[in-house]
Amino acid sequence: MKQSQSHLGTFSLWEARIPLLLTYAILIVGAIVMIMPFVWMVSTSIKPDREIFGDSIRWLPTELDLQNYTDAFEQTNMPRLFANTVLVTAVAVVSQVLLGSMAGYVFARLHFRGKMLLFFALLTTMMVPFEVLIIPVFLLIRFFPLAGGNDLFGQGGTGLINTLGGVMFPNFVSVFGVFLFRQFYLGFPKEIEEAAIVDGCSRVGVYWRILIPNSKPVMGTMALFAFLWSWNDFLWPLVVVKEDSLKTIQLGLSVFDQEQGTAWAELMAASVMAVVPVILLYIFLQRFLVSGGLTSGLKG
Amino acid sequence: MRRIPPPILMAGQGVISLTRRDRLYRLVNSQAFVALLFLAVPVLLLAALKIYPVFYNLYLSFTRYELFEPPRFVGMKNYSYVFSNTVTRQSIINTLLFTIEAVPIGTALALVIAKLLDQSIRGRVFLRTLYYLPVVSSVVVSAMIWRWIYSPQHGLLNYFLGLAGIPPQNWLNDPNLALISLVIVTIWGSIGSNMVIFLAGLQDIPRDVIEAARVDGANPLQNFLLITVPLMRPVILFVVVTFTIGIFRNFGLIFMLTQGGPFNRTNTMVWEVYQNVFGYLRLGRGAAISVVMLIIVLILTLISFRVLRERQGA
Repeated sequence: MKQSQSHLGTFSLWEARIPLLLTYAILIVGAIVMIMPFVWMVSTSIKPDREIFGDSIRWLPTELDLQNYTDAFEQTNMPRLFANTVLVTAVAVVSQVLLGSMAGYVFARLHFRGKMLLFFALLTTMMVPFEVLIIPVFLLIRFFPLAGGNDLFGQGGTGLINTLGGVMFPNFVSVFGVFLFRQFYLGFPKEIEEAAIVDGCSRVGVYWRILIPNSKPVMGTMALFAFLWSWNDFLWPLVVVKEDSLKTIQLGLSVFDQEQGTAWAELMAASVMAVVPVILLYIFLQRFLVSGGLTSGLKG
Repeated sequence: MRRIPPPILMAGQGVISLTRRDRLYRLVNSQAFVALLFLAVPVLLLAALKIYPVFYNLYLSFTRYELFEPPRFVGMKNYSYVFSNTVTRQSIINTLLFTIEAVPIGTALALVIAKLLDQSIRGRVFLRTLYYLPVVSSVVVSAMIWRWIYSPQHGLLNYFLGLAGIPPQNWLNDPNLALISLVIVTIWGSIGSNMVIFLAGLQDIPRDVIEAARVDGANPLQNFLLITVPLMRPVILFVVVTFTIGIFRNFGLIFMLTQGGPFNRTNTMVWEVYQNVFGYLRLGRGAAISVVMLIIVLILTLISFRVLRERQGA
């Protein structure tokens, strides 16, 4: 505690300790409750069935049983699920970073008639949750022209339904990203760009050679959010994809859940495999998340 | 990089003359042209995915549409259905019940945790990461873990209750417990994200106010309730609103854990939209329910924007 350390003289040591101990007690008990489900997931995933369905609870298995992982791996066709999810997520991340930074640069630096109107129109769409637009967006994908046997007017076939392109389509760009990049570029020193323009650099050149190489923090934040949204997305893949070979990992997992019923060890093993990449990436990128994205969004 | 040649002053004319190439370069490098180049793709995509669907959805809500025949205009029929059909009306009530049960407790817990973490104590970053993990985990994985915890026979929760002498419960299939079970998972899954917003808000509270109150003899609890909470009011309201919107959007948990049951007790509006559209192919009805949802969400968002603006003005 910054303040109490500097004022320890006015405090007795005893008085200073009680709130600190209480703080730790509450925080640690809370944290245990928060991560207990994950610990239980991992614990279940490495246990043989007789220990899962035994009379008492065992947090640590008496013997390590990784059979559940190989079973889950084979039964869910995990490589296919992973490949689909990685592809869909990679496209979303690259596209949201690129389009977000391009639009963010325009809204932060260039002037043209109707700019603010356009910007606020885009900003208002942030208020509309995707879930309430699921019907028209589904229809847009279903009647997408010249795809999946559709003619120019979107009739005759199934459009982008049952394609990975259909899964990707709503995730190419995020308004949040446009806003995030604009805020970042607004705070970027203008003098550097002006000097480059005086030296004869074009506007595209300014964007590509000056802004892009200096956008790493905001790109990290955007990439992490885009990754989380796309990797964890469930409702949209659920309505777009029917075929097993096109399923993402969340979708594969949810179906596995219904098929397996009470094969908890396999279900937990599959869950571990689905969640580990996300947790690793989050821990790796969380410095960006805390310092950049959320606070700048809140403070506008 | 390309140098723009200095303008040439022609004798007797006094005008600036540029070669054709230079004129082309000026056009291509103009603000409007670059803006068009950079904005065309993102703006077209957002128009197709975010703006056009709002209006098309509104149009569909006044039609009867079952996908294989073109939509037929039916006036207010879908809306009168939404408010008169018992199941649909129940879904609106359930959504509100869900909100009332989850939001106050979830917000209070997140604020307390944020306040405790907002000190330079050892292991702060580590603890914050632990609290945030459920946010990072997908709803499908979270739901799967909780289904196992709620399992009537070998679930962890019934085991703990058994230690306290409480008989096992059938959490997700008991009409009186199903919604509460979903509320518990929702609170668990949202503490992390709300905590991060509160942590950002706490940065803006002047330290000397809290320090002054402490010197004047306020104990930490008084300090929290009488200084921090009132100063955080705008942030609290912002969290309440975003949390509520999150509950309105919460589809995956219901799909994975209860499918709206038992006896429609966990049937919320977003589930009712999904059921109508992808279950019964009643796209018009689904559109009407989502329009009602959108209106509620917009009202809530406008409230939070107003509060945020007041906060910046203050």
